[in-house]
Amino acid sequence: MKDYFKYFDKLTFVLLILLSLIGIFLIYSAGFPLKESNYLKQAAWLLFSLVVFFIFFSLKIDFIFRNAFAVYLVLLIILALQIILGRTIVGTKSWFRLGGINVQFSEFVKIPLAIFLAKGMTRFELIDWKAFFNLLLPIAVPVFLIILQPDMGISFILCSFIPIVILLKKIRPVVLIVSILLLLMCGVVGWHSGLNIYQKNRIISFFNPMKYKKSIGYQIIQSKIAIGSGGLSGKGYLKGSQSQYQFLPARHTDFIVSVIGEELGFTNIAILFFIFFVVFYRQFKFNFQNDEEFYFIYLFNGLIFFQFLINVAMAIGFFPVLGVSLPFVSYGGSSLLSFFIGEAIIFRIKINNYLT
Amino acid sequence: MYPSKKNLSGAYIKKAATVSIVILIIVFLGIFAAFWNIQIVNNEYFRRLAIQNITRSINLTAPRGLIVDSKGVILSENKINFTLYLVRENVVDMEKTMRLASFFAAKKADAIRNIIARYQKYPQFYRIPIKNNLASDTVIFIESRQEEFPEFEIGVEPIRTYPFENCAANVLGYISEITEAELGSKDWKGYGLGDFIGRSSIEKQYESYLQGVKGKQIVIKDNLEKIQKIESKINPVIGATVVLTLDLELQKFIEGLFVNQNGAVGVVDLQTGGILAMVSKPDFNPEIFSQEMEREQWLALSNDPQKPLQNKFLQGIYSPGSVFKIIMALAGLQEKIISPATVVYCSGSQNFYGRVFHCWNPNGHGAMNIFSALQNSCNIFFYNLGKRLDIDTIARYARMMGLGNESGIDMPNESRGLVPSSAWKMQAFKQRWFPGETISVAIGGGSLSATPAQMLKMIATVALRGRMPRLHLMQRIEKAGQTVREFTPEFSRVPIDEQNFQIVIEGLFRVVNNEGTGWAAKIAGLNICGKTGTSQIIAKENPKYKALTQEKRFMPNSWFVSFAPKDNPRLAMVVLVENGGDAGAIAAPLAAQIYKKYFENERLF
Repeated sequence: MKDYFKYFDKLTFVLLILLSLIGIFLIYSAGFPLKESNYLKQAAWLLFSLVVFFIFFSLKIDFIFRNAFAVYLVLLIILALQIILGRTIVGTKSWFRLGGINVQFSEFVKIPLAIFLAKGMTRFELIDWKAFFNLLLPIAVPVFLIILQPDMGISFILCSFIPIVILLKKIRPVVLIVSILLLLMCGVVGWHSGLNIYQKNRIISFFNPMKYKKSIGYQIIQSKIAIGSGGLSGKGYLKGSQSQYQFLPARHTDFIVSVIGEELGFTNIAILFFIFFVVFYRQFKFNFQNDEEFYFIYLFNGLIFFQFLINVAMAIGFFPVLGVSLPFVSYGGSSLLSFFIGEAIIFRIKINNYLT
Repeated sequence: MYPSKKNLSGAYIKKAATVSIVILIIVFLGIFAAFWNIQIVNNEYFRRLAIQNITRSINLTAPRGLIVDSKGVILSENKINFTLYLVRENVVDMEKTMRLASFFAAKKADAIRNIIARYQKYPQFYRIPIKNNLASDTVIFIESRQEEFPEFEIGVEPIRTYPFENCAANVLGYISEITEAELGSKDWKGYGLGDFIGRSSIEKQYESYLQGVKGKQIVIKDNLEKIQKIESKINPVIGATVVLTLDLELQKFIEGLFVNQNGAVGVVDLQTGGILAMVSKPDFNPEIFSQEMEREQWLALSNDPQKPLQNKFLQGIYSPGSVFKIIMALAGLQEKIISPATVVYCSGSQNFYGRVFHCWNPNGHGAMNIFSALQNSCNIFFYNLGKRLDIDTIARYARMMGLGNESGIDMPNESRGLVPSSAWKMQAFKQRWFPGETISVAIGGGSLSATPAQMLKMIATVALRGRMPRLHLMQRIEKAGQTVREFTPEFSRVPIDEQNFQIVIEGLFRVVNNEGTGWAAKIAGLNICGKTGTSQIIAKENPKYKALTQEKRFMPNSWFVSFAPKDNPRLAMVVLVENGGDAGAIAAPLAAQIYKKYFENERLF
């Protein structure tokens, strides 16, 4: 037990909790104009997530990895059921009401999927056609189901596994080219059939925000104004006009970066980013015990990194508004919980590495 | 399912870590740079946009300055008016908004759409005035349900009113909303759509004084356009007060004299040149312009053949008729063509250039000198005088006495009338002047025409023995109790000898006081001097028109120009009754009543 405490990555753990607390702090500000109590819900979710974190931390890696595929299948079935039965919240059927709490199952797919992919990657030296289908299919199915819900953000984030796999493995050039072409094709087909107007407009407006100033490009512009007007030290907590006078959309989720940017300024946003940097740095720089654990850590952290990058780029208009939240910080209990579960597994892997 | 493997080399893992960290560093540097660029480099730009988001500048309409008469009676002021505004930015469902607007304003939806269309270029948050003079129950209804109708706002603004309604309408003028075309021109800099501007008369002439200074309110609004707080407020400043020389009591009295009659009256104070009364009949109620006007109402007013919107005193042009004999007499005396000793025999008619010209008295007046010729308004005397003076000399004296040019009174859109001359005829008709035409002009006929204002200025100049006053309506302009502009009387000298004026005045005295044509204006003790003029609209000599002369609309216009008292004159007056008929019977007694009224008040006798 003493060893467990010694080798437990205390700094990263503290930083993750710090990110979550910063999140609650910002969610309070985001909900302040309408007197929303989201910050309380998020705090409850954080406590719950920490409990679950230690449950998963105490489980054997072997047990987790063995049962990942079954969990993956169960989640797929739930997603399919949701599409048929699910409740619609803000245009998506991704929420599932569980004893008075809204649970977003799509958020959890990334964990068993990462494990499943990590295992799969150990079986192939080179990504040839066979490997390609073996690895692509498990990603494509949930992505497809989540698009149907429709939740662009989460399905897009799951797709980030694809480049990570390609970067970690040798790939036959022809497979690489075909997969890139396939990705483009998916984009085109998705554009014409899968996306609803609401989602299309978000993407159109990304390329020409000023033209849609009062309608769909509105979000991007207001977010940039919020961040830009914050300056070096910000306008003060609860004093941002963009945040408090409700010019900023989705303040507690997609645009939480804009809230900190406006109210607390560049100095504090730099601190937030630096915390993320340290977390990523510590997670990537490590000696790993076995291949599938190595792949899992890269896949899962890679996904967090992608999600972080896309959310931040979105807030300053470098990326279309797809509904991607900021890991650990944005409001969303399912998201927070899923990240803590993933981190619990990583923490356990790292401990195992020291203890053996 | 899959057995654990440990095949990856240490070098591969190290490489993966190194590459990841290099990517991390590059990406984070990029993010820091991007945020630095937005937050630090472009901070000022975005800060401005953020302020623009929340601040709204609301113009506060300034009340227009008052117009008061010489005794301080308010002739034009402002009353509280509730205006319904529409803010497009807050419209959720345009169809529903149109229905509501139509209901609140009691206007057709199309009319409202037209109003909104005019504001196309204005920002979405601009308050579009939909309806003036909103009924108070509508105001209460909307105000109490403001949450339900975020797109509507009620503005409390002053509206122009005229407490005496039609009284002095053509002196005061009216105001109406500025048009888009006007806003484009630089004449109306500082004005905005929805502002009202003076359209005629004093309201137009002194627009720059009457117009106040707009106030401004800066408010902080949230994204739902709810006002969060008032940042700053600059109160509007009321426009300056224009004090007129007008005497409301006299004005009202004169207007009351016109019953079913049209025409114009001007009364001037000879000490200052200030207009004491300026009447133009028919008139209108200027207040209808302050509010929104129905098209039909406007068309009825502007197309009325009696021209109620025309200030007949300044804009009506009429043949001066026998009144012109005053100028003829002055020209003849000054040019030494005649003297008090000159006698002309009137037999009722005389042949000039092969055509017979008649005196108004077919029996003839007998031997006439300048005094009796004026007294009896003998045409034959003046025909002979006209024959000996050529047309250009007559024109010179007519202009000298103020005809053919604006009187220079402080009012816009004055007419000039016409003084014919040989040069004018050549230019207008490419024809030389025929001497026969001079004979008609000599008794104020022919192409000669003048406004009542010119006639008033002329008789005032005669009264003052050649000192020509500058007519004016504005006495002074006051701002917050301080006089900012004041009229100082101006007189100019007409190059006619004073003794010649004395001769003519003697004739004019006899017109009224010695059984002359203006006998009906006589008031014992007041020594009124005057001259009648009955100017025909159609030639009654023409047998074809014989029947028509009985019709009211073809009856001659009646003039009476006068001043009193003869020595040290105080008042000059012009009375014109359109289609009044015999001036001695119509215009002269009217003048007498006005003198009586004025001097009664002055307690002179």
